[in-house]
Amino acid sequence: MNALRITWRVTRLNFRAQLEYRAEFLLNVAIGAIWQVSVIVFATVLLARFTGMGGWDSSEVLLIPATRMLAHGLFVLLLGRVHFIGRQIQEGRIDIYLMRPMPVHRQVQLSYFPTNALGDLTVAAGLMVGALSRSELDWSAGRISYLVAAVVGGMLLEAALFTALACASLRFPAADYWSRWLEELLGTFGSYPLNVLPRAVGGFLTYALPLAFVAYLPAAVLTGHGHDTGVPYWLAASAPLVGVLAYLGSRLLWRWSLRHYTGVNG
Amino acid sequence: MSGSIEVHGLSRVFHTTVRRPGVAGALRSLVNPERVAKHAVSDITFDVAPGELLALLGPNGAGKSTTIKVLTGILTPTSGEVRVAGVVPYQERERNARNIGAVFGQRTQLWWDLPARESFAILRDIYEVPKAEHAARLKEFDELLDLSSFWDTRVRHLSLGQRVRSDLAAALLHDPQVVFLDEPTIGMDVVVKEQVREFLRHQVEQRGRTVLLTTHDMTEVERLAERVVLINHGRLVLDGSLDEIRRRFGSTWQVRATLADAHTDAVALPGIALLRRDGPQVVFGPDGPEAPTVNSALKAIIERYEVTGVAIDEADLEDVMRNAYAQAGAAA
Repeated sequence: MNALRITWRVTRLNFRAQLEYRAEFLLNVAIGAIWQVSVIVFATVLLARFTGMGGWDSSEVLLIPATRMLAHGLFVLLLGRVHFIGRQIQEGRIDIYLMRPMPVHRQVQLSYFPTNALGDLTVAAGLMVGALSRSELDWSAGRISYLVAAVVGGMLLEAALFTALACASLRFPAADYWSRWLEELLGTFGSYPLNVLPRAVGGFLTYALPLAFVAYLPAAVLTGHGHDTGVPYWLAASAPLVGVLAYLGSRLLWRWSLRHYTGVNG
Repeated sequence: MSGSIEVHGLSRVFHTTVRRPGVAGALRSLVNPERVAKHAVSDITFDVAPGELLALLGPNGAGKSTTIKVLTGILTPTSGEVRVAGVVPYQERERNARNIGAVFGQRTQLWWDLPARESFAILRDIYEVPKAEHAARLKEFDELLDLSSFWDTRVRHLSLGQRVRSDLAAALLHDPQVVFLDEPTIGMDVVVKEQVREFLRHQVEQRGRTVLLTTHDMTEVERLAERVVLINHGRLVLDGSLDEIRRRFGSTWQVRATLADAHTDAVALPGIALLRRDGPQVVFGPDGPEAPTVNSALKAIIERYEVTGVAIDEADLEDVMRNAYAQAGAAA
């Protein structure tokens, strides 16, 4: 209970602090939205010029970037401070977190308010509304529940990937640069059906770097393409669970990494 | 024991890669890295009693910060045992955190974008300090550190002195038994330095806190510490009082005495050498490792000779420590 109170209090204060720098606040919201311009262009071109992609029709494809974006926006808002943790390591802030009676991971998440997430989420919400309104699927309670689980699972999977990189950064701060590569990869390949890619690339993005589980596989299950993904149906349908398990695994890795943390400057 | 610090055989080894010189060397290091073990701290043993202020001294890279990081639970030692207020810091990190406060002069634990007072309130919640207790302690700290004149300013806009005073308050608001201070007054002006020293003295003498202080400021050591642990190259060189340090490394005092009778035979005294004589003017200095302190030497000279005047040239602690570091470095 105390943990929730502290989390709420710090988040509120951090948000208020951001609001006091009005121009900075608005710029951060704007950059969050503009950062997703490639997704917006992709969606616009998809709807205006093509009838479909890889056997999916346009409205079905649109569900992929909408799910990914919403998962990404929630990740940035709730768990995104592990992204670029190298700076906090270099500034010795991890050392300070280790001296407080509070989990270090929580302190990292409470270090500042991610204003850019508001821009991300605004674009994502608009995209999801657009995707759902164009969808011809029967949005039963079960389907809606699965979509919600898929978004949460996608958020956790993205958090797991960035947490794993943060663990590497605890040991080698330069590993932080891989975060940029990962973000770029998620943005580039996370928005359309992976069956349009060569099989090897699709396999890599499914089993080696499992971004297929963020949005592509859950969208395939929702739109009836679950048997055509090259992934066993049960595994594709378990995408939200994969996100949960990956996140739990990454948190175990985080705990192990903190125990082996050597700090900076001796 | 409550509030004590116990360090026994502490060692911490870091494994690093040796960079070979030149571009070819760098490429070779990339393909075939040479790993070496760097002993940041080697077999260090010392204790700090509850309510004692100990200065942990040594030149840059001596191992002071590594020692503090182990004691605060940031680092796990390679070997040895450490207890702070009865807790092994790296095994029970959160429990240890409740018993300790720490200030690193070059870093802040405050929220950068928030006023210092908001950080105090967050820390109150984190450490679960009752509101009334928190308010009373904050009032006390305000009287000693004049916090209220700037605590509503965002931390990013505070001066260094204001920021460190806020950090000191933040580190002590949960009433820790043990306090670690790593160069707390670095870069401060003399007025604020004195205010901080007065605050620390109050915390030790009135509140009974155990303080482990690292600093390069010898005035600070003279004003605050009775006992000093000196480390160099990761090894403990000396554990003793300031007097002991002066006796062992401060062999630069001179007593210039003017004898009442210019014809009196002047001779060396136990531990005191006769350096030179010019008529009634006689200059004495320390002789060997058992030389007395300058005060004891002066007493012995006055008791032995009838003098009409004395002048003392004594090395200050800065000189003593320079000498100590040089000797310790040569011995390592």
